[in-house]
Amino acid sequence: MSAPIVIVGASHGGVQLAASLRQSGSDQEIILYSAEDVLPYHRPPLSKAYLSGEKDIEQILLRGPAFYDDHKIDLRLGDPVASIDTSARRITARSGDQAYSKLIIATGSKARRLTAPGHELAQIYTLRSLSDVLLLKEAMGAAQDIVIIGGGFIGLEFASTAAKLGKTVTVIEAREKLLMRALPAGIGDFLRDYHAGHNVHFHFNANFAEFEGDNGTLKAVRLADGTRIKADMALVGVGGEADLSLLAPLGLKMVSGGIEVDDFGRTSSEDVYALGDVAAARNLLVSEPMRLESVQNAVDQAKAVSAHILGQGAPATPVPWFWTDQYDLKVQMAGLARPDAVQTFRGDKDANAFSILETVDGRLVAVFSVNRAADHMAARRLIAEGTPLDPDLAADAGTPLMKTVKTV
Amino acid sequence: MSGPVTIIFETAQGRREVQAKIGASVMETAVMNNISGIEAECGGACICATCHVYTDNVPEELLKPMSSEEDDMLDMATAERRVTSRLSCQLRVTPELNNTVFIIPENQF
Repeated sequence: MSAPIVIVGASHGGVQLAASLRQSGSDQEIILYSAEDVLPYHRPPLSKAYLSGEKDIEQILLRGPAFYDDHKIDLRLGDPVASIDTSARRITARSGDQAYSKLIIATGSKARRLTAPGHELAQIYTLRSLSDVLLLKEAMGAAQDIVIIGGGFIGLEFASTAAKLGKTVTVIEAREKLLMRALPAGIGDFLRDYHAGHNVHFHFNANFAEFEGDNGTLKAVRLADGTRIKADMALVGVGGEADLSLLAPLGLKMVSGGIEVDDFGRTSSEDVYALGDVAAARNLLVSEPMRLESVQNAVDQAKAVSAHILGQGAPATPVPWFWTDQYDLKVQMAGLARPDAVQTFRGDKDANAFSILETVDGRLVAVFSVNRAADHMAARRLIAEGTPLDPDLAADAGTPLMKTVKTV
Repeated sequence: MSGPVTIIFETAQGRREVQAKIGASVMETAVMNNISGIEAECGGACICATCHVYTDNVPEELLKPMSSEEDDMLDMATAERRVTSRLSCQLRVTPELNNTVFIIPENQF
């Protein structure tokens, strides 16, 4: 009998992989290691419904408590993996050594931290895990002046939650606009104005310099140009990086800050796979491997790894998609922004419902939608199919996006 | 009334009664109780359409009206859309839903 399939990290991707293996009929032993001591949970609600208290932990669990036993998935909570030995095909976890037949690295990413003066002050937070949010939640009640460093998705979601609670919120962004890498300026500017309408203050082209404290208590955030912003709480939202702490000794091929994997999630080491935030893969839209920190990416890669382990064909190459909820706005992205794309606007900005389509040679490569779910869902299909659109129809918000395909 | 509410899920394998928490969504109730066929990939953000249910046996007035967003998502769901189609992440458990049946489509993704 062969050794178990060992999954390191009970992330969305790790849990999906275990579920997919069982769904596809595998009866091999599966061990799923988690460094955390709570049942695996959805991360996106952490900065929103969970933080605001609208949902409790039971409402954000990936699977119910009975799922793991029922599917004979040996979930080891509070059992961090300390080392991996790919030549001996063994891992060492807190609970002991374990041999594997297949190893899947699904350790995710961690929040990047700042090491500027004052970073050790107690009132400075990051937002990635449940334990981060428990701390944040407890501290938020008393906080009034909140400074967010980084105008990315986490920072803006937190800003909307905090602004709704009546806090004074200031966002510091190093670049001239919001979310310049991920979104067209038309969406970034719209979000800036929407936040400003909820009393969120912005500093653009702003370089963070230091946290100013007094007797161990945060008092202000200081920018490089000397600007001082009063603060009794700060959130550092300057992006994530793959959690590579376990990997250095393994000699795996790395690229773009992650473990290079192929369409099946295979790394450069035999029987070792990686998926989710920690992996860098090609996708339908890019030829260079990239890391994507998203639920969609984790789930689709998990399905691909499952298919490979079970000797099934590769699933269709996925179209990346992502969403962020801020106030009553649902911003949805399908595909990836490209600087060389032609942009087409459809919808009504004043009604907070519009999409920006990006096409290359008439074919959709990305759609960015605000409160237009139908556009988003259609885009996921149209990008995958690569069919050319009729530009006039595409610009007409009254025509369903699915019906804007060019007829020959 | 604030006692436990019973929700019934019907799949190809048969019916299962589960205890539901008032205020939780029907999707969350299914996930907590390990009902297969409710994937809920996005965790209730109304963006994946993998928590599709048929509400044939639920009186319509007991369900909150459908938002245009849910309507749009259902158009793109994998399983056939019917008049009684809803996304279970958008339905909250209320005392009035006691003993109602939600039917889970065979293919969710």
